[in-house]
Amino acid sequence: MLEPSISIPGLPDKATLDGYAIWDSYFTPSHSNPGPDGDYLTAEIERSLRTLAIGRFQRACIFPHVGLGTCNPKTAAALRAIPKLVTKAFDRWPKLLLGMIQLDATKVAGSIDAINRWLRDGPMLGVYMPAAPSPEQCCTHQNARRLAEKVISLGGVIMQHTWFITAGKRYPGMSTPTELASVARKYPEGKFICAHAGGEWERGIRAVRAGKNIAVETSGFDATAGFIEMAVRELGDRRIIFGSHLPSRSLGTELGKVIAADITEQSKRLILGENYRQLLAPIMKRKGMD
Amino acid sequence: MLSETAAGTAAAVLCGSAVGKSPDPSSHRIIDSNVSLFQWPFRHLPLDEPISLVAQLKFLGIAQAWAGSFEALLHRDIAGVNERLVVACQDHGAGRLIPIGSVNPMLPDWREDLRRCREVYRTPGIRLHPNYHGYALNDPVFERLLRGATEIGLFVQLAATMEDMRTQHPLVQVKDVDLRPLPEIIARIPGARIQLLNLRPRTTELISLAKVKGIHFDVSRTDDTDGITRLIRAMPRGRVLFGSHAPFLIQQAALIRTAEGKLNENETRDLLARNAEKFIEPV
Repeated sequence: MLEPSISIPGLPDKATLDGYAIWDSYFTPSHSNPGPDGDYLTAEIERSLRTLAIGRFQRACIFPHVGLGTCNPKTAAALRAIPKLVTKAFDRWPKLLLGMIQLDATKVAGSIDAINRWLRDGPMLGVYMPAAPSPEQCCTHQNARRLAEKVISLGGVIMQHTWFITAGKRYPGMSTPTELASVARKYPEGKFICAHAGGEWERGIRAVRAGKNIAVETSGFDATAGFIEMAVRELGDRRIIFGSHLPSRSLGTELGKVIAADITEQSKRLILGENYRQLLAPIMKRKGMD
Repeated sequence: MLSETAAGTAAAVLCGSAVGKSPDPSSHRIIDSNVSLFQWPFRHLPLDEPISLVAQLKFLGIAQAWAGSFEALLHRDIAGVNERLVVACQDHGAGRLIPIGSVNPMLPDWREDLRRCREVYRTPGIRLHPNYHGYALNDPVFERLLRGATEIGLFVQLAATMEDMRTQHPLVQVKDVDLRPLPEIIARIPGARIQLLNLRPRTTELISLAKVKGIHFDVSRTDDTDGITRLIRAMPRGRVLFGSHAPFLIQQAALIRTAEGKLNENETRDLLARNAEKFIEPV
């Protein structure tokens, strides 16, 4: 592949990017769907490597499916039958990938088994609660709360997908930042990440402002100007965690939000890596992870 | 840290600015075909003062930016909107801001606004907001406007959307423009030049639009790490112009997306400036 020899402004130089020590909390190759033999996921990670390298990312967290109802039935069956499919990508990129498993709150018993297997006894650091069709999958439902309690008891992190859509929820299992805030209030010892800051971030930031155990994640919507500035002003720079949503979003959209923001370099370092490292530090230490 | 090999020669490509340091302006020429001046109606934007936006253009080494006005979305005194735009471009632009007047064909005597754009303000084109102004492209007035602009040598920028519908203000929910009638209309107007702004193209839509000579695109909302590369290679040469939708969107986002794509040097130079230089010249 030919590369342009001209320079294009906008991206900080390598030394500056290295200084940020970027950890990506929301890496979504193939939306973590491994396909029947694990190849979808590895191919999508390969597609992203060039971009991750341009951004000088150090670590990136994916959200593996583990055989629950979060992916198509054929793939779920394969994942249950061959657990190695879940770890295939981690085996290949052990220094890059971190993991939080996807749970299905319509299947409480299966999800708790998965938490035990992959979080308590395995390499995962937390869980990802996706937007999903069934009401049980909204974060306020008792099923989802039971799973949250289990994760919190093990010191795991909960990455909760959230959106405030102007026209209203597309399906009952979607969660809003307001709903996440109500759950987080019940579990002050929990560690919650409000994925996408609710998308419509002006409301999302306000909704979680009082919840000191909630951080907002930065990806998943256009590079709208002013987002990071408002988040730093209202939440402080220690409650914001960078996510890339690569490769379906882009380095430009997601890294651009932070590096172009009118905030201090120290705040950028916190948002792009340090906050996430600190959030994960206890569980990583317990697991003996570097 | 990922290996240098994984990055390929990207590091060489991306010899961009360190924070606080302006890039070498001799290394590229960039025309941003899609910026706007003044206040977004629903939020304060960090660069909504023309002087701030121009400072950023200078910092990023952007030689020229084609500027519409956010006021055009909801104001009905479009003549006043265009006058303020032209004055601001003259006062603050230092030659970098090229005003693009707006025309709302739902207003009485819109032809006078079109005439002034050409004869008084000398803008090279006009910008349309059909969804904010309340008409569909199959309304005959759109064809009359497109034909009228083409006859006097103006290009037309059509904003397919201004904001993701999911995040719009609840009292002002504006659907994306339905572009399906466009290929048939533009085929009836020889020499028409139209650029679609802020479009997040779907594959089926692209196939239809790519066939029609005269339709151009920007990259302000072309997401996916390979999105710009795919868009350019799905089109005949010359159809994609760099445009950022600043200051509503972060200008660096479109620049970095350009760099993270796998464009070769010719494609990059075409995108950043050459296609805009050709587009702005009347046929």
